[in-house]
Amino acid sequence: MATFSGTVGLTVKIVLLGLVNGVAIWAATVLASNGKWPAVGVLALTTLAIDAAYIARRALPLKFLIPGVVLMLAFQVIPIFYTVNVAFTNYSTGHILAKDEAIGAIKENSLSAAESGKSYLMTPARDAEGKLVLLLVDEDNRATFVGTREGLEPLPQNQVRSGENGIVAAEGYTVIKGNELFALDRELNALTIPTTGSAAIRPEGLDAAVELQPTLRYEATRDQFVRISDGVVFRDNGEGSFVATRGDAELEPGWKTAVGFDNFSRIIHNPLIRDPFLRVFAWTFAFAILAVLLSFVLGLLLAITLDHDGMRFQRGYRSLLVLPYAVPGFLSLLVWQGLLNDDFGVVNELFHLDVPWLFDGTWAKVSVILVSLWLTFPYFFLVSLGALQSIPAELKEAARVDGGGAWQVFRKVTLPLLLVVVAPLMIASFAFNFNNFGNIYLLTGGGPQASDQTVAGSTDILISYTYKLAFASGKGQDYGLASAIALIIFFIVASISALTFWRTKALENVR
Amino acid sequence: MSILDGAREQPLPLGLERADEVVRTKRRRGWRKELRATWWRHVVGILAVLFSMFPLVYVASAAFNAVPSLSGAEVIPDRLTLHNFGILFHDESTHFFRWYANTLIIATCTAIITVLLGALAAYAFSRFRFKGRRMGLLGLLLVQMFPQLLLIVAIYLIVLQTGKVFGFIGLNTLTGLILVYLAGAMSVNVWLLKGFFDTIPAELDESARVDGATPSQVFWGVILPLAAPVLAVIGLFSFIGVVNEFVIASVLLQNSEKFTLALGLRSFIDQQYAEHWGPFAAGVLLSAPPVVILFLFLQRFIVSGLTGGAVKG
Repeated sequence: MATFSGTVGLTVKIVLLGLVNGVAIWAATVLASNGKWPAVGVLALTTLAIDAAYIARRALPLKFLIPGVVLMLAFQVIPIFYTVNVAFTNYSTGHILAKDEAIGAIKENSLSAAESGKSYLMTPARDAEGKLVLLLVDEDNRATFVGTREGLEPLPQNQVRSGENGIVAAEGYTVIKGNELFALDRELNALTIPTTGSAAIRPEGLDAAVELQPTLRYEATRDQFVRISDGVVFRDNGEGSFVATRGDAELEPGWKTAVGFDNFSRIIHNPLIRDPFLRVFAWTFAFAILAVLLSFVLGLLLAITLDHDGMRFQRGYRSLLVLPYAVPGFLSLLVWQGLLNDDFGVVNELFHLDVPWLFDGTWAKVSVILVSLWLTFPYFFLVSLGALQSIPAELKEAARVDGGGAWQVFRKVTLPLLLVVVAPLMIASFAFNFNNFGNIYLLTGGGPQASDQTVAGSTDILISYTYKLAFASGKGQDYGLASAIALIIFFIVASISALTFWRTKALENVR
Repeated sequence: MSILDGAREQPLPLGLERADEVVRTKRRRGWRKELRATWWRHVVGILAVLFSMFPLVYVASAAFNAVPSLSGAEVIPDRLTLHNFGILFHDESTHFFRWYANTLIIATCTAIITVLLGALAAYAFSRFRFKGRRMGLLGLLLVQMFPQLLLIVAIYLIVLQTGKVFGFIGLNTLTGLILVYLAGAMSVNVWLLKGFFDTIPAELDESARVDGATPSQVFWGVILPLAAPVLAVIGLFSFIGVVNEFVIASVLLQNSEKFTLALGLRSFIDQQYAEHWGPFAAGVLLSAPPVVILFLFLQRFIVSGLTGGAVKG
């Protein structure tokens, strides 16, 4: 009690508040130096609001809510809105940039070596500030220049010492040599030095540079590109790309733009997306339902069998059967992947089988369900055991006295009472399995590849399909489509959760 | 304290404890007679135990087996060796201790902070009546329906952008991952804890207030100590949850030295079952026990539904 009384509490508060403000000011300077002014504004407002809430005598609840809520806004609520936002854009490989950035990139991409273009001997160097510059010698007239990202400037001959392969040393610059030069390979490749007009100089290898001329001309007033060689016009097609008015040539890259319900209509209308989506959709339901039902049945059967008065070792069985549930799931799944390997897996060896557990579409589905049965049945075993024992013996007794056989008593008395307890848990388990990424991804990786050769493998469920679309397909990233599918999953799972909430009347606590 | 006792008793509606007593107080009968009546139950039980135990037994034996590969490995190894552990610790493709430490750091930080933040917010919702309280609670319920798993693309893009300015919470940092986990756990924990705080009589706070305590003193001095057991359980469940988490970690952490055990062991074994099986099994043997022990300890809370249908994969 004494810890947070009076002055101590006040001191803690002042120190913490000071810390928050200190961090905020530091963060603001960093943001400002990066030119992120809107972010600076948001940060300043948030910090002021926090200060006000903690200094004011009123606003008590806020004092308790702020720390968690700020965090939740940043990494949970904003992502929700962002997901909704991205789902209605074409955000994907080739459509990452904003439009003006894309126009810049197209201009730069269009640069190519002109026949009349000059070539230079090049020496990479650093200026006084450590920035990468190029020391250049014009091969025709031996004129010397220094090229930076900003442009090309002449370098007086008397300040440089030139060798046969270009400049060897220059006043005020440090020539880069040896290993450091090789490490710079990528940075050099990305360096473009603007010269007169839209032309530019770009390194070629480590010791030469060439002058490049644009092949496209951007006309800002009409918002279009014109190919200089033949006058073909590329117009904004409204979907984040410049497309030729004749033919269907497209300029790379495109940009990120709102496309309305395009992603959703692609799922419905584009057979290349619809067919794998429907396949994955059906399998997701089949997987979630089978995994829950089978686990429940096995768990219940075991509970009925092992929960018997006068049987020994009940506790022993229980402890051993619960173990799979206690082991971290990712470890079990990785172990199973090894055990089911068809070349040298223990399962095939033990039972003298030759089953391609993970490398055949159908068998992989069987494996996924088998392993998820192994992972989940202990849970339903425990739950059923508890539920069975909570059913009063008198009820069963009464039913038996009334002439019910064992099966009838089970069907008419035990099972309904059991389901009252277990059914909500089964729904929760279904909702969980619906998005059981780990179970699929760690066991089969969603594979093997299905016959339609798309990103969606034979055992992919919606969430792992989404993950692959966004991160791991090898066919480029499609954040827009991935987010659209995430929204669809949300609506499915939310309706299931709503059902459970409605049943458990969690909403009553809101009052 | 009566309330504490209440907290301990409360989550046991299904009577697992009672089952233990039934077993314990059972009259001892003759072996033969019992076996005649229940032999088939034992057969089913033994089959089930074989099914659930055999992968675990195989891993345990593979960890000490001198025969390096999966194939031809006997359940009971001919020669025992610690060689596999040596490979696990020293092979250049593993940073086993690093992964272990990362996992512990991430899980511990998340568990402690999540409970604290959750308790703070839950206290406000439980004890104060303020404008927007109802909306806030409904909002939490709504947010809860949008698991972070579904937001992974957005979270990735946000952390990527943040990291470009503030490197220490960007991609490939433990802090970034912890922040994301904390945000994801808020809504569920606030609801759970609010439900529990509601069961603590308001008279207790009121009497403390009459004695001159401020609301924050009531929170730290009265509510938190009373809720300590529940906080501990929720914290431990978060710990296990974080250790088990794969997706978000795999998207945010890209450098092997930043990996958690889940990412590390997967990258170690992925596509290389033949060569790495032994050391991998050793890794499993070292990683599983802490969680297993915690889990068995928490078992009764799972059954009692404290975690609302906690299922895992």
